[in-house]
Amino acid sequence: MNEPLLAVSNLKVHFPIRHGLLFDRTVGHVKAVDGVSFEIPEGQTLGLVGESGSGKSTTAYAALQLLRPTAGSVRFAGRELTELRGEQLRRLRREMQIVFQDPYASLNPRMTVGRIVAEPLQTHGIGTRRSRRAAVGTLLELVGFDPAYTNRYPHEFSGGQRQRIGIARALALNPKLIVCDEPVSALDVSIQAQILNLLKDLQRELGLTYLFIAHDLAVVRSMSDTIAVMHEGVIVEQGPAERVYTRPESDYTRALLAAVPVPDPERMQERKAERRRLAATV
Amino acid sequence: MSATEIAGRMAGVEAGAPIRQSSLWQDAWRRYLRNRGAVAAGIVFLLIVVWCVVAPILSPHDPNRIYFPDAYQGPSWSHPFGTDQFGRDLFTRAALGGRISIGIGFGATVAILLIGVVYGAVSGFVGGKLDNGLMRFLDALYGLPYLPFAILALAIIGTVNFWTMVVALSIASWFITARVVRGQIITLKENDYVRAAKAVGVRWYAILGRHLLPNTLGVLVITIFLELPGVILGEAFLSFLGLGINPPDASWGAMAQDGRDAYRAHPHIIIIPSLAIATLVLCANFIADGLRDALDPRTRET
Repeated sequence: MNEPLLAVSNLKVHFPIRHGLLFDRTVGHVKAVDGVSFEIPEGQTLGLVGESGSGKSTTAYAALQLLRPTAGSVRFAGRELTELRGEQLRRLRREMQIVFQDPYASLNPRMTVGRIVAEPLQTHGIGTRRSRRAAVGTLLELVGFDPAYTNRYPHEFSGGQRQRIGIARALALNPKLIVCDEPVSALDVSIQAQILNLLKDLQRELGLTYLFIAHDLAVVRSMSDTIAVMHEGVIVEQGPAERVYTRPESDYTRALLAAVPVPDPERMQERKAERRRLAATV
Repeated sequence: MSATEIAGRMAGVEAGAPIRQSSLWQDAWRRYLRNRGAVAAGIVFLLIVVWCVVAPILSPHDPNRIYFPDAYQGPSWSHPFGTDQFGRDLFTRAALGGRISIGIGFGATVAILLIGVVYGAVSGFVGGKLDNGLMRFLDALYGLPYLPFAILALAIIGTVNFWTMVVALSIASWFITARVVRGQIITLKENDYVRAAKAVGVRWYAILGRHLLPNTLGVLVITIFLELPGVILGEAFLSFLGLGINPPDASWGAMAQDGRDAYRAHPHIIIIPSLAIATLVLCANFIADGLRDALDPRTRET
C-alpha cells in the first residue's frame, strides 16, 4: 500500500465577506487557504508552520471536514472526504481526531473527565457503560493521567493535565490520524516537553499519523518528518524536516528561522543584521 | 540534580492531585454567600413564600368570610394586618393573595423560559437565514408595549383565571430571554469543546443537549429572578385595573384595588399588599444581582 494516509490537494477555503442591511450581498472573499497540497504517509508526521493568521488551523479544519472546503480534494485512507455526507462522514470520524490548542476551551466545563473521555465511545455505540468505564481508565493511564480523578471536573486541573485529557479523548476511538492544532502553545515550557514526549511515545506505540501544527519552529522540528511552511494561505516551502531547517529554500522560511531568538547576545546581533537584510526581500 | 531528575520530578508534580476540588456550582454558592445583601434578600424572599403557603392553613380566620362588624379594623393582635371593608382578615388574605401572585409569577417565568430557550436555541444553533428571520420577527414583537400586549392577549383568550394570566403575561415577555439564550448559544458554539464534539461525530441534538444548553444554565437561573419581578408587577397592575384575578379570589394587585376606595381613612388596606409586592420585587432583583456576580466566571477567584 503506497497511497499516503492523508492526501490534500489544491485545498481552498474562502470566506465570503458580506454587507447589507436586510439582504446580504457578497462583496468579496477572504482567501484563508488558497490552494494547499500535501501528503502524509501512514505513521509519519507533517509539521505545518506559519505565523498567526497564515491559515494553518483552517487547513486542518478543512482537512477534517469541520469546515467544508471551497474547492480541492481531501483523500483519507482511500476515501474522498469532500464527497461524504452525514452518516458516512460521521462513521469515518472514528479514524481521524483532533487535539486543540487551548486546554481550557476544549473541555466542556460541565462534564467530568470520565464523561469527556467516554463521549466518543458512547457516540459511536462502542461497548457497554461498564466496559466504557474500563476503557476510560486505560486511556487515562495511557496518557499519564491518574484514573483516580475520573469523576473530577476539568477546571480542577492544570493546563498540562487538561491537555492529557484532550489527548485521551482523541485516542478513544483508536484513530489513524490525529491533527495536533498547536497542542503545546498554551502550556508552560516545562510542560511542553512532557506533552511532546507523550505524543511521540503514543505515535511509536500506536502507529499514529500526525498533522502537527505550530508556530514554534523548535517544537515542529522535534516532532516532524516533513515540514510545510505556510504563509498567507499558501505553502511556500515543503520538504524533509532537517533540510528545511539547514538549507531553507524560500526567503520566508529564512525570515521565520531568523526570528527565532537564540540565547547568545553576540549571535543575536548577527541575527538582527540577517533579519534586516531579509525584511527587504519578504 | 540532573536534568532528567528534574524532568522526572516535574512529571510527578504534573501527575499529582487536582489543583482545586470544588465544582462550578459550589464555587458560585460560596461567592453568593459572601454577598450579604443577596443572602438577606434570599432569606426574606423565602420567608414571604413560607408565609404565603403556611398562614392560610394555620389561620383561625376564613379569608373569604364577610362579617361587617369587623370592617376597617386597624392592626391588632387578632388581626395583625387589620381587616378590609368586608371585615376579612388581611393577614390571611394577603398570604392567600401572595400564593396567587407568586404562583402566577413563577408559572409565567417557567413559561417564558420554555418559549425563550426553544426559540433562542433554535435561532442561535441553526444560524444563517433562519436566525436572521427569527430575530427580525422578534424585533417586530419587541416594539409592542408589554402591558397592552398582555391585556390584548387576555381579551383574545376571553376568560380570566390563574392559567390564562400565566399565558397572557408570558407571551408578552419572553423576548429578552430568547435573545439572551441565542447570544449564549452563539458564543458557546465557537468553543473548542463543541468543535471537538463535532470532530468525534457527536450528533447535533447531543451537541445541543450535552454541550450547549447545560452551559446556559447559569444565565437561565439569573433570568428567572430577572423576569419574576416584571411578571409579578404586570399581574399586580392588571389586577389593580380590574383586568386580572376576580373576587373573591385575591392577588396582591386585586387587594390593592380593594383598598383604593378608602385609602384616606384606612390606608393599611392598600399599603399592605403594595408593601408585599415591593418587598418581593426588590428581593428578586437583589437575588438576580447576587446570582449574576456569583455565576460570572470572570469574578471567580483563582
